Amino acid sequence: MNEFYLTEDQQDCLQELINIAMGQASDQLARYLNTFVYLKVPSIESVDAKELMQTLSQQKNTMAVVSQGFFGYEGIRGEALLVYQEEDSGRIADLLGYEPDELSQDEQLIDISSILTTTFLNVFARQIDNQMSYNAPKLLPNVKDNLSEHLQQMPFSWDLALKVNINYQVTDYSFNCNMVLLIPETAIINIKNVLDRILAEF
Amino acid sequence: MSPSVLICDDSNMARKQVLRSLPEEWQGNVQTATNGAEALTILRNNEIEILFLDLTMPGIDGIGVLQGIKKLNITCNVFVISADIQPEMQSKVKALGAKEFIRKPVKQDVLLNNLQQHNLL
Repeated sequence: MNEFYLTEDQQDCLQELINIAMGQASDQLARYLNTFVYLKVPSIESVDAKELMQTLSQQKNTMAVVSQGFFGYEGIRGEALLVYQEEDSGRIADLLGYEPDELSQDEQLIDISSILTTTFLNVFARQIDNQMSYNAPKLLPNVKDNLSEHLQQMPFSWDLALKVNINYQVTDYSFNCNMVLLIPETAIINIKNVLDRILAEF
Repeated sequence: MSPSVLICDDSNMARKQVLRSLPEEWQGNVQTATNGAEALTILRNNEIEILFLDLTMPGIDGIGVLQGIKKLNITCNVFVISADIQPEMQSKVKALGAKEFIRKPVKQDVLLNNLQQHNLL
């Protein structure tokens, strides 16, 4: 399980790739919301499967999870989860300025999540000379009861989760969400090789 | 004479990316800072002609550095290099005195073009 031990240089390199990807995802979100999105340095941490299961099941106020699969070349694949807390999900409707009868709250969450996930992963992939395709995003029903089941039913066995803690502040509102990337071991090894390749250029 | 340069970014990789994009003969006259506070200290105590500045940093961020430069009346050509590419951010840093906004990851030709446009190359 220590496949994902990163050296200081690898960690710095990954953080920078993620910052760039996050910056463009915020830009997309800002355009979509027609407002300015204040971005903090996202913190990243890696957690193993067991740990993640525990963390997520302990978050009693987890309200919604939007899940979307991604596939690149060279065995890079995974599942991106966007995890929202209960107190933040209501604000998203305010944020979007939707009228109650326009789109359901579920659809709004899926919209926002997909913008964040696909922009983030597209930019990330481009930087590591890869290219992603995606499954349709889906909102997990009854997330409180079904999350661990969902995590166990992935079409691949994942060994590590990369948790990116994102905080977005949008003028009068702020909401937090966690982006959790579930990645199988082959993809981890590949990403590490790419990080080393980038670092070797310096 | 090569100009005195300061590169401020919390990422080691990003600092190296800027450094290796600069003309070879400039390399000996480059200082680096890993956060805004460090950058302001260097700017106060040295004559820096060109500052390459990241925005999203812990503690004093790039906006804080631009405000500090104004407040302390420091003369310096600031090029912001950032991943936060929202148009509003770009106009904000220019209003605060930055010469140009360069998006990350920085490309050598773009960086050199920007320097040329401001007669720094």
